Amino acid sequence: MWTTRSTANGVALGILVATTIVAAAATDERNGTGTLKQTINRGAVLCGVGTGLPGFSTPAADGVWNGFDVDFCRAVAAAIFDDSKKVMFVPLNAADRFKDLQAGKVDILSRNSTWSMSRETQYDLYFPAVSYYDGQAFMVPKARNIDGALDLDGSKVCVQDGTTTILNLAEYFRFNNLKYTELKFTNLDEVSKAYEAGQCDTFTADASQLYALRLTLGKPDDHIILPDIITKEPLAPVVRQRDNDWMMIVKWTLYAMINAEELGVTSQNVDEALTSRKPDVMRLMGTEGRYGEELGLTKDWAARIIRRVGNYGEVYDRNVGIGSKLKIPRGLNQLWSAGGIQYAPPIR
Amino acid sequence: MIIRSLAICLASVVSLISYALAAPVDRGDTPGLIADEFVQLDPAFQKQMVLYRTTEAPGTVIIVTADRHLFVVQGNGRALRYGIGVGRDGFTWQGLLKISRKAEWPDWTPPPEMIARQPYLPRFMAGGPGNPMGARALYLGATVYRIHGTNQPDTIGTAISSGCFRLVNDDVSDLYERVAVGAKVIVRQKPEL
Repeated sequence: MWTTRSTANGVALGILVATTIVAAAATDERNGTGTLKQTINRGAVLCGVGTGLPGFSTPAADGVWNGFDVDFCRAVAAAIFDDSKKVMFVPLNAADRFKDLQAGKVDILSRNSTWSMSRETQYDLYFPAVSYYDGQAFMVPKARNIDGALDLDGSKVCVQDGTTTILNLAEYFRFNNLKYTELKFTNLDEVSKAYEAGQCDTFTADASQLYALRLTLGKPDDHIILPDIITKEPLAPVVRQRDNDWMMIVKWTLYAMINAEELGVTSQNVDEALTSRKPDVMRLMGTEGRYGEELGLTKDWAARIIRRVGNYGEVYDRNVGIGSKLKIPRGLNQLWSAGGIQYAPPIR
Repeated sequence: MIIRSLAICLASVVSLISYALAAPVDRGDTPGLIADEFVQLDPAFQKQMVLYRTTEAPGTVIIVTADRHLFVVQGNGRALRYGIGVGRDGFTWQGLLKISRKAEWPDWTPPPEMIARQPYLPRFMAGGPGNPMGARALYLGATVYRIHGTNQPDTIGTAISSGCFRLVNDDVSDLYERVAVGAKVIVRQKPEL
């Protein structure tokens, strides 16, 4: 492995040196590095999304894509083109998504993908920042009056076979000295059906999946997702390594949305924000400094994102939160200042 | 701790005269009015247990003024949520305080600042159903602010007070039993542009 890595690094260094020379020759040409230039020439962001997960990415009947992951690509498009519609969505399946990104089939993968070390190292990819903190949770019938996952001793648990979910389940119960019986099924819909038929006491999967699947049950309100999150599933957009200019745009698009929420800038008051004299707001809106230009974009890059798509909280609420059918509590995805862990470095 | 305004909690309807321009819609406090017990709160403002992530200890009170909600942290990722009425524009503040005192059917002695502004207010009003302070009051630190009941349950969910937080009398009585003197109170405002 070491040999392979050093060769790859050597090549990368070569590219880096070459890029530096080109950049030095024309310092204004920040678009010169790959993806941004291609995207601008194409006139649209190529966005790899899921094949249909309610709240995250679903194609509507009229062919318009909706969802949290979809909106993130729209935000990148807004930052570049001042037009959130300049996105071409490419549905990718779970098995091939990373290879497809690596092969250049898309500019960004925004497809409820968990950031893990091996995914960055093995596929030569980079997860710029966490857009959604997910994690494995448990759904139970409300009538059982269970407060938390530690009350699940002796439960029959419905779970999807061949997943990390089933391994996490085993680890969690063993570690907490709880007994359980597994009922395994090949796909998630079968797990859900078995749970609904009362074959098991609880159903475990990632929280976002549980909220989505709860909608498909006969009486969704009769079921609750316990607040215990037993694993770390940080979902993040993904880009190719060694295209730092593009990576920076993707990363700061997300951070601009989080900062906007923290500063109280929304799609509704963005014009008012443009006249604000508050330094944090001015740097975000581009009325002070040239932060956007340093990214290879325009001064008003963040204002474009907020106007066309909204701040982080608006996007969350509309797609998966209180304004959506899923009604997932903000939980970990609440801002750091309000009990969650969503935290963006400052623009300054 | 940041206290943006030193305004006094209660505002009288009569204050409309002096604040007609500043506060066009002001259904402030009406001493003597008896609460209508049959007012049905909007479901979003009814007392309920909700999933609520926080790093604060159980028993802590968190007030989110923008949503008109008061949470009592329960642990286990849950909080008890109540609907509240909050301060109107210019009468907002945020910060960290402790419950310094609790009282049942509190008397109301409008402080000098308030008398100066609204000379027609009573100098003293004994606790009872017609008192704008309502059934219970939880005093916030050494400030003039309170979490209190109301004789106007239809003002829950609105922003009309001068900085206090009001709950319907049933809710404030329930809160009174759950929150101890010394409990931490966190008040969060929506950021200003």
